[in-house]
Amino acid sequence: MSTHRATQDGSSSSQLTQRLRPLAAPLLAVLGALVLGALLMLVTGHDPLAAYRAMFEGALGGRKLANLMATLARATPIVGMGLAITIALRGGYLNLGGEGQLVLGGLTSALVALYLPLPGWLLLPVSLVGGAVAGAAWALLATGLDRVFRVPLLIGTLLLNYPARYLASYLVNHPLRDVASGMSQTHRVPEGVELAYLVPGTRLHVGALMVLALVLVATWVVRRTRVGYELRMTGLNPDFARYGGINTVRLGFGTMAISGSIAGLVGAMEVLGTHHRFIDNALTAPLYAWTGLMAALLAGSSPLGVLAAGLFFAAVHTGGFGMERGAQVPRELSRVLQALMILLIAARSRLLTPTHRDAPAEKASSS
Amino acid sequence: MVATSSEAPALELRGIVKRFPGVLANDHIDLAVAPGEIRALLGENGAGKTTLMRVLYGLYPPDDGEILLDGKAQRFRSPTDAIHAGIGMVHQHFMLFPSLTVAENVVYGREPQRWGLLDRTAAARQVAELAERYGLQVDPAARVADLPVGSRQRVEILKTLYRDARVLILDEPTAVLTPQERQGLFQILRELASQGKTVIFITHKLQEVMDLADHATVLRGGMVEATVAVADSSPEALCRHMVGRDLLPQLAKVPQATGESLLAVNNLVVLDNTGRRIVDQVSFEVRAGEIVGLAGVAGNGQSELVAAIAGLRSPAAGRILLNQDDVTATSIAARRQAGLAYIPEDRNRVGLALAASVADNLILTGRHNPTLTQRGVLSQAGIERYTTDLVERFDIKIASVREAVDHLSGGNRQKVVTARELAQEPLVLIAEQPTQGVDVGAAESIHHNLLAVRDQGRAVLLSSAESSEILALCDRILVMFEGRIVGELLAEELANDPAAEATIGLLAAGGEV
Ligand SMILES: Nc1ncnc2c1ncn2[C@@H]1O[C@H](COP(=O)(O)OP(=O)(O)OP(=O)(O)O)[C@@H](O)[C@H]1O
Ligand SMILES: [Mg+2]
Repeated sequence: MSTHRATQDGSSSSQLTQRLRPLAAPLLAVLGALVLGALLMLVTGHDPLAAYRAMFEGALGGRKLANLMATLARATPIVGMGLAITIALRGGYLNLGGEGQLVLGGLTSALVALYLPLPGWLLLPVSLVGGAVAGAAWALLATGLDRVFRVPLLIGTLLLNYPARYLASYLVNHPLRDVASGMSQTHRVPEGVELAYLVPGTRLHVGALMVLALVLVATWVVRRTRVGYELRMTGLNPDFARYGGINTVRLGFGTMAISGSIAGLVGAMEVLGTHHRFIDNALTAPLYAWTGLMAALLAGSSPLGVLAAGLFFAAVHTGGFGMERGAQVPRELSRVLQALMILLIAARSRLLTPTHRDAPAEKASSS
Repeated sequence: MVATSSEAPALELRGIVKRFPGVLANDHIDLAVAPGEIRALLGENGAGKTTLMRVLYGLYPPDDGEILLDGKAQRFRSPTDAIHAGIGMVHQHFMLFPSLTVAENVVYGREPQRWGLLDRTAAARQVAELAERYGLQVDPAARVADLPVGSRQRVEILKTLYRDARVLILDEPTAVLTPQERQGLFQILRELASQGKTVIFITHKLQEVMDLADHATVLRGGMVEATVAVADSSPEALCRHMVGRDLLPQLAKVPQATGESLLAVNNLVVLDNTGRRIVDQVSFEVRAGEIVGLAGVAGNGQSELVAAIAGLRSPAAGRILLNQDDVTATSIAARRQAGLAYIPEDRNRVGLALAASVADNLILTGRHNPTLTQRGVLSQAGIERYTTDLVERFDIKIASVREAVDHLSGGNRQKVVTARELAQEPLVLIAEQPTQGVDVGAAESIHHNLLAVRDQGRAVLLSSAESSEILALCDRILVMFEGRIVGELLAEELANDPAAEATIGLLAAGGEV
């Protein structure tokens, strides 16, 4: 059309570099972290090469790939939680209540499995669904507070984490406690209501496949469906979405319900797949919700990005154990190294995609 | 006052090159402007005008070329450097802080201080004085986010005047100004030029070039096509330089029998944030086969009236009937379903999702159309066809429909909005500043499209700061002042009245005819 377009180099190679560009930043960050970490180890008198070998081995190797399985098992809840937050973030909703939704989901699924008089084959799906419903309800509560009482979603979701955690804690310490075990936990769920292991002898359970499936479905929904389109537009410019007739209120409730239900489902999967009972603090201590949040922020609200970031975080973590075991790097140092990697990645990527009601200045973008 | 080329230029650009991925926006541009000269910069949408000015203002580093002020080479790393060197710019894509007040925006960077803090009273007073002196109506205490586009444009202009620049760049400052405000602005610019300041003025309105500029430089495809002395030129000649053809003859507006009422507004009241009646008991109707114009100075309630009809604002009282159904309390979706389409004046904040692709922006209102989605799933092939068709029909200059809208030039953004809404084949079209920032050729084609809606027996409500646009298109004209309709004029009666624009201007300023 316009004459000066003739100069464009629309060759496929330049398109490829365009596509790969978003990957360049995180890769650079990892590289930078490795270099900084090496310096740190040299200063503290450790052999960086040996430590990195141990880290790599610890994350991805092991006898019969046991360490890789451990990484995948750890990645399952992280990716799941990251996905829950990403979906909300896509629409511009910041769901900081993943932890509460996760805990209530796990608790509910355990209660359903333990106390609902249903035939065995039905109990597993109902228990999973129960977890999802509980997570959704908790997220909807925060959304309702935002709508009705104008408690910003960010604050409402965050604050609701506390009652969820304390409620669960109270229940497993008092009325529902398995007194015989001497620990703060419920009874073991009945046999047959557990999620099967994918690889015997590891902690990798069927939930990993469910999370993978959810990531793929979410990617498809966001990119290829009308609802996904409406969600993306709302996230990019809520005024534009409203102007176009998108019911942003309904969309907000729907999105938060889905976000919360995924978080609840992750809780249910951990209970039914890993612990086989609800154990106090077992879902909160490993910081799944917060690591997932970080993965979501880094991934710039792309479900596939969350998958990558979640796997990476899990690998760094299990690799850290490997480093401690295999190269006698003290735990503190391995933790510093992990934090360094995460920090550098965070510094290199856009931390937050635009959320509602911000727009610091009209910048190069109004009239 | 007319500069001669023998004089040493106050500003010189040499061989400026600026590339974007896939586009050569500025291709070795040379430009020299004498002190005291008013230079018009012309060119089609996407010709590279804004890009060139942003290079000059330090927003983009040039890929090649030099900037000289009074013969001295400059290197601007940021607008701060350019401002220090005495350059001021009125941005086409406004650069204002929406959450700050008008006064705070204007004094930003050169705040009057008291004990090291911003002196708000002094700021408000200075800004009020400045606005008064230059005849630009604004409330210094208003929050920019609450202002209609026309008022924001005035803030943008005041900001630059406040800084007292030596070289003033104005990138389409008149896109949504009324003729009276425009005359006021021109007066200021002439005065500044006579004090020896250099003015670069971008516009698509050729008459403005004839009225104001000494020389005009025409860009085309990123290159300088011609530089002419305005005194020796004509709008027709300028147009030929820009688009390489003559303008089509005047619009052929054939009289059209009007049908039933498609849009009716009864005693509508809209309140602003402070509870004041920004729209006050407004009633009118638009019939099938009719274009009704809404004229007035920005800030007199037109934007709020239109937003209420479109469903973006809820009225405090009154009724809105769409095709004789009461839609006052219905959702935006329901109104669109009933055949309403809306071209909003604020294209960047309402009409577009800037970070999204052109395709995503074009399908917003047609997304339920079976060519675009089937059973809730987007049809990639359908979207590709639908959007490339619109891009071609409306001559939107882009590399691909997957390009992000914020890479588009101002006029091309406007075309995206207008194309999307016209593609709905609406029963009632509300067009607010539908040609702001588009070049003469594209404005002409949008005008033809608006007339086509009318000629097909549908209805158009056209709100525009441009009274010539209103006069050329409308069958009836409503003039708004302070929230009320203060006059209704019939096109036939104005058809051969040379004072028509002046009449509208007088009414819009609260006068009596
Ligand atoms: N940030 C950017 N990224 C990519 N391309 C851009 C960017 N800004 C401008 N362009 C492209 O550069 C070209 C020139 O744009 P520019 O905004 O300078 O046009 P213009 O002459 O000001 O047009 P208009 O009259 O519509 O405002 C256009 O093809 C535009 O798409
Ligand atoms: Mg421009």
